[in-house]
Amino acid sequence: METKEVNTGMPRQGLWLDPRTKLYLLAIFSIVMIDGKTEGISFWLKPALAVIPFLLLLSGRKRKAAFAYLVMFAASWGINLLLVPHLGSVAMMIVSLLAQLGTRWFPSAMMGYYLFSTTKVSEFVLAMEKMHLPQAFIIPFSVMFRFFPTVREEAASIGNAMKMRGITGRGVLKNPTAMLEYRLVPLLMSVVTIGNDLSAAALTRGLGKEGKRTSVCNIGFRLWDYLFMILVTLVLALFLALS
Amino acid sequence: MDKKKLNAKDFINIGIFTVIYFVMFFIAGVLGYIPIFAVLIPLVLGILGGIPFMLFLAKTGKFGAATIMAALNGVLCFLMGQSWISIPFGIVFGLLADLIFQAGKYKSWKHIAAGYCVFTEWVIGSMLPMWIMRDVFFETYRKQGGTEEYINAVMSLTDNWMLPVVIVLGIIGGAIGAFLGRAVLKKHFAKAGIV
Repeated sequence: METKEVNTGMPRQGLWLDPRTKLYLLAIFSIVMIDGKTEGISFWLKPALAVIPFLLLLSGRKRKAAFAYLVMFAASWGINLLLVPHLGSVAMMIVSLLAQLGTRWFPSAMMGYYLFSTTKVSEFVLAMEKMHLPQAFIIPFSVMFRFFPTVREEAASIGNAMKMRGITGRGVLKNPTAMLEYRLVPLLMSVVTIGNDLSAAALTRGLGKEGKRTSVCNIGFRLWDYLFMILVTLVLALFLALS
Repeated sequence: MDKKKLNAKDFINIGIFTVIYFVMFFIAGVLGYIPIFAVLIPLVLGILGGIPFMLFLAKTGKFGAATIMAALNGVLCFLMGQSWISIPFGIVFGLLADLIFQAGKYKSWKHIAAGYCVFTEWVIGSMLPMWIMRDVFFETYRKQGGTEEYINAVMSLTDNWMLPVVIVLGIIGGAIGAFLGRAVLKKHFAKAGIV
């Protein structure tokens, strides 16, 4: 697990966006990009929109991911435009399916990755509080953030333990229910225990308390937030009006 | 503490079990990359999710828990780059499931099994774009010179009759998962004193 830096209130490196801006960008992406058209106005809008995650990832110092994304998108876009019309039916089915994934789903997925990798949990919680989401939603959500890595670690250790007993992936086909039982039951057991500990820890820190909570984070819309929001809103408007 | 209302401890449990359930969804979703198997997602998800969901229900057992879990699933789908349509689907099916559980006071086994079958149907939301976008998709292909054979092949897979099939598969998967979950709950968790 990577170490989390402590928020000291110092100015952050690189471009910093409000979590709400990131969510807004993601929402627009999932409307515009998921549609399959590559002609007309979409021909210009989609690559323009697709560049945004690339730039954001670069500014978030995720250089590898940024360039991998750029290559994937360009390749899928190219295949969609140039190659697909000239292929036979079976090859086309497979290739075009992959290319469709690359152009439709990949940009939004990268926006999601950017959101997760550059937003601190407490920033996200504060943003959700500012959006007036109920605590019933915010608490489970912030727990989830913390829990994905834990589940992965636990699952890996259980996998190792099971390997020692000779219960490996090959057994899936022979006896799927036993596989499910041997993997899932220990995982759930340990997760329930961790959950109890976590509840106790959080409750002592006043999680269940009524009233407004304070935060060390400082979020708010700045120039870049407005610029990005106006940009993608324009793209959305153009997309809806002209296609 | 109010016994009927969700408290902070329940919220934490919801978060934890949503993670487990979502991992199950992810495993089921891998199937979706193979076009023909995509319709099987609800079946597999129902079976895989049964054990965690039954434990989850036994741990919380209050109105609203399933709704929040399904809504969170929808939000996670959205954050992973899928359509926002999963979010309303999650809320609606989660709420329906909660109402069914409530009718059985979170104790009646029949209501729990039926509710879980309904809960599983939220996944349609994440699969829906397949149908909505179909026409646009094929129109583009025809214009770009796609062959009729290919279009017909995919068309038949995503035909309208597939939607009821998906719903039924979700119910079957939910039923299997519910029985599996109950069996495992009895066999392991009740014995260990976790439930």
